[in-house]
Amino acid sequence: MTLNTFAARLLLAGLLGASALAQAQAKDLVVGVSWSNFQEERWKRDESAIKAALEKLGAKYISADAQGSNEKQLADVEGLITRGANALIVLAYDADAVLPAVRKAKDEHIPVLAYDRLIQDTGVLYLTFDNVEVGRMQAREVLKAKPAGNYVFIKGSPTDPNADFLHAGQLEVLKAAIAGGKIKVVGEQYTEGWSPEIAQKNMDQILTRNSNKVDAVVASNDGTAGGAVAALKSQNLRGIPVSGQDADIAALNRVARGEQTVTVFKDTRTLGEAAARFAVAMAKGTAPAAVQGAAIWSGGTKKLAIPSVFLKPVAITTDNLDYVVSAGWATKAQVCGGVDASSGPKACR
Amino acid sequence: MTTLSRPPAPTLRPSLQGFFQKTGFDPRFTSMLLVLLAVWVGLALMTEGTFLSPRNLYNLSIQTCVTGVMACGMVFLIVARQIDLSVGSLLAFSGMLIAYTQVVLFPPEAGWGWPLSIVAGLAGGLLVGAFQGWWVAYRQVPAFVVTLAGYLMYRGAAFLVADGQTLAPLAPDYQLLGGGLSGAIGPLWSSLLGLLACVFVVWQRVQVRRSRTAYGAEQLALWADGLRVLLQCGAIIGFVWVMNSYTAFNAQQERVGKGIAVPVLILIAVALAMSFVATRTRFGRYVFAMGGNPDAALLSGIPTLRVMLTLFMLMGALAALAAVITTARLNAGANSIGQMAELYVIAAAVIGGTSLAGGVGSIAGSVVGALLIQSLDNGMVLMDVSSAKRQICIGLVLIGAVWFDVVYNRRSSR
Amino acid sequence: MRDNFSGLPRLVEVDRVSKHFGGVMAVDDVSCDLRPGEVVGLLGHNGAGKSTLIKMLSGVYAPDSGEFRVEGKPVAFASPRDARAAGIETIHQTLALADNLDAAANLFLGRELMTRWGTLDTPRMEHEARQIIAKLNPHFTQLHRPVKAMSGGQRQTVAIARALYFNARILIMDEPCAALGPAETRMVIDTIHRLKAQGIGIFLISHDMPDVFEVCDRVTVMKNGRVVGTEAVADVTQDEVLGMIIGGRQPAHRTARSPDLHPVLATGT
Repeated sequence: MTLNTFAARLLLAGLLGASALAQAQAKDLVVGVSWSNFQEERWKRDESAIKAALEKLGAKYISADAQGSNEKQLADVEGLITRGANALIVLAYDADAVLPAVRKAKDEHIPVLAYDRLIQDTGVLYLTFDNVEVGRMQAREVLKAKPAGNYVFIKGSPTDPNADFLHAGQLEVLKAAIAGGKIKVVGEQYTEGWSPEIAQKNMDQILTRNSNKVDAVVASNDGTAGGAVAALKSQNLRGIPVSGQDADIAALNRVARGEQTVTVFKDTRTLGEAAARFAVAMAKGTAPAAVQGAAIWSGGTKKLAIPSVFLKPVAITTDNLDYVVSAGWATKAQVCGGVDASSGPKACR
Repeated sequence: MTTLSRPPAPTLRPSLQGFFQKTGFDPRFTSMLLVLLAVWVGLALMTEGTFLSPRNLYNLSIQTCVTGVMACGMVFLIVARQIDLSVGSLLAFSGMLIAYTQVVLFPPEAGWGWPLSIVAGLAGGLLVGAFQGWWVAYRQVPAFVVTLAGYLMYRGAAFLVADGQTLAPLAPDYQLLGGGLSGAIGPLWSSLLGLLACVFVVWQRVQVRRSRTAYGAEQLALWADGLRVLLQCGAIIGFVWVMNSYTAFNAQQERVGKGIAVPVLILIAVALAMSFVATRTRFGRYVFAMGGNPDAALLSGIPTLRVMLTLFMLMGALAALAAVITTARLNAGANSIGQMAELYVIAAAVIGGTSLAGGVGSIAGSVVGALLIQSLDNGMVLMDVSSAKRQICIGLVLIGAVWFDVVYNRRSSR
Repeated sequence: MRDNFSGLPRLVEVDRVSKHFGGVMAVDDVSCDLRPGEVVGLLGHNGAGKSTLIKMLSGVYAPDSGEFRVEGKPVAFASPRDARAAGIETIHQTLALADNLDAAANLFLGRELMTRWGTLDTPRMEHEARQIIAKLNPHFTQLHRPVKAMSGGQRQTVAIARALYFNARILIMDEPCAALGPAETRMVIDTIHRLKAQGIGIFLISHDMPDVFEVCDRVTVMKNGRVVGTEAVADVTQDEVLGMIIGGRQPAHRTARSPDLHPVLATGT
């Protein structure tokens, strides 16, 4: 055998071997998750849920954190595609700025699932808790506690479309009372980055401007609710209904103590699990619109027809605090810390 | 192009220049106070007086504390031709350490849990500061790079302390340090402190005059010193009076004057201490020398490496102190606190007269700079201005203030 | 060599000192000396090794070989502090002044006077500074301004005052008049005369021949790191010194075969 022939056979063997290896690895599906800003409290639970579900389905989990930057999210998506993602779950930092990244994925025939936050694209499956319904729940509970008076809106981050969906839901419920003059809106501010400090400062100023004549605070999440409550407490204002969202441990404790009226429980474990399930289904070839439970929804600002799945949130008040405990979300000790058992809610007795 | 083609910078009118020479007032600081006054009058007019109400001024004083405390340390760093971009993230990390100690490590009944948490936070700040200072001083990595890395790292570390959770509530006694319902010292103590401060101001001027006479040095006119004492005491008395005028219901449901808030006392103490270090200690002198001419400092035998390390540790400690105030005020430790703080702190220092080229800086100026920035934010929320417009406005004021600094430097180097 | 100092003990001796950086010999087997009340000019083109030599004398660098002796005793300086402790004060070409501080702060930089509570004794430092500066330049009164607002001559005064206040016995001056106008140069020259009269020994680096010939007693010329020669100023002309600096040529009285012959004819040029 000449050297050339030997080399040729070696090369051929090598190529065959490599392709066989590649074929074997292709059996394992890879799902890539692009987080917008992993720093916020709740995403850790989402991640555990997604990871657990993917493991059960036999798929691999890879991820990247955009750390609150549009540019980085674009680079992250490209990176996930390069690393072999067969489907992408994207928690968009900005619903419009993320579109180039989505385009890249679509060009490579990689299905995309918009996780919790809207992506303005008809080819993407939008999976979320019904944020408008969350807003409605927040407003409903506050309205129940205080049907009339001066209301303050502590809204979410101006760059997060969810903030506006929440506010839209809140307004839906309160519309009639506002129009009829029973409710007067005496303060309304966005809160950059959903920051509790900024919410506290804004609440301080709104209270000053209205000489403390504030009867209810519709806060859009638990972090900002915490800031608002701190501002109210420093003015010794008690019994003012405050809403929130996410069922943070600190917020559940506030509900037990009577400092917060309602928080909305979105069992993000079901969200994560559903996202994993849908991502794998789409990777195997199911079209977004054909995913189980999907329906076309056109409620976004651009009125695009987007296939969507909305999960149902649960409003948590003093009456049903045990729901989060039995769901395994928080322990009774965490929820009821510092609450007097005799005078507290029934979940704490 | 030579200087001939640049229009000449405006010079102070001779009468004005004479006034500053005779009184020994710092023209830069004076003009900044005037700017602050103008902003306050403008905001008062636009909010129908609410901005200048005792209640709002009391809130404003608390809102200035976090930026102010950190600005005092940042002045030293910038004077020494360094920078620290990580203070906001370091604040978050220290804050999470504090909250973790209080909420997770100690039961709420233990009364001594919260002082220990402050120690934990300070230790964290000092260690991180030492870490950064070591890289800058002993490994000559530029401070910009080290602290930019820190900006990312300590934010991540803050997240890891409690796995992203917000830790709350904090000990009731600890919350005093952030203001709040019982977080002020009351009219009696405030008046006493104010009186003490006035006495100190007068005594200090007398000492200065005495030492000038003893050494046969040239003396400022008596009216000049008298004017200075009058203005300083007036400001102190005015401040105390406003704080006492803010009456609110206390925990016992009685209507009393609040007095000076506890975090404001912390800010005042820090500012006084840092001013003292800057003007009266060898360390402060060395920092200014290193910023003015690093070679001269080395040749004069100044231990520049040690000074640099200490500077960063000082900044770390002050960031931890700011974290105490923030978490006490919020009654929670959240890993998102302190976002963007580094920019406001640097802005406060620069507006207050600290030159980014190094060698020149003012502690008092940086506190006034912090006050200016917070006043704008505070006033505009009172006016219901949206957050986007507020950001634009504050940005424009920052440009204006630094432009003013540039013009002033051009003028004074003649 | 005629000179007035041969009977006096040597203040500074540089004994066969060498220093290299990488592969370059910046200072190569250099020897020279200085006596009390004497001004020795250190001359040479750029890169001749003068700056490196004085940096070793002022404690910034350590020599690779050779020895320095102060008043007969061998010394090794680990830092500028050690050099100053031995009575050597250096006035660098850049003056080593912190532009943002005033005269008194610069004078006492690194050696501040403290109160008994450990704080800076600023009034005393200002007083001391005023006194010594007044002796050097009675017209210089505005001491409170930062150095960057001072004229070249005033800055030079502060640098000299710093050296004097701490009782330097040996002064090294690097191009003291380079950035000064004629009046201020005059002032510095007069100061140097006064310092000589006080018995202070001075190493002077300068490019200005008239200044050198007015104030120096001897000159040591360096070229490419080595000493070309050391001559009493009275024994040579300015041209001969220039010839030493640029061409490394020995002055006439060293190369003449007979003291009677004309120097030019004797060398055959």
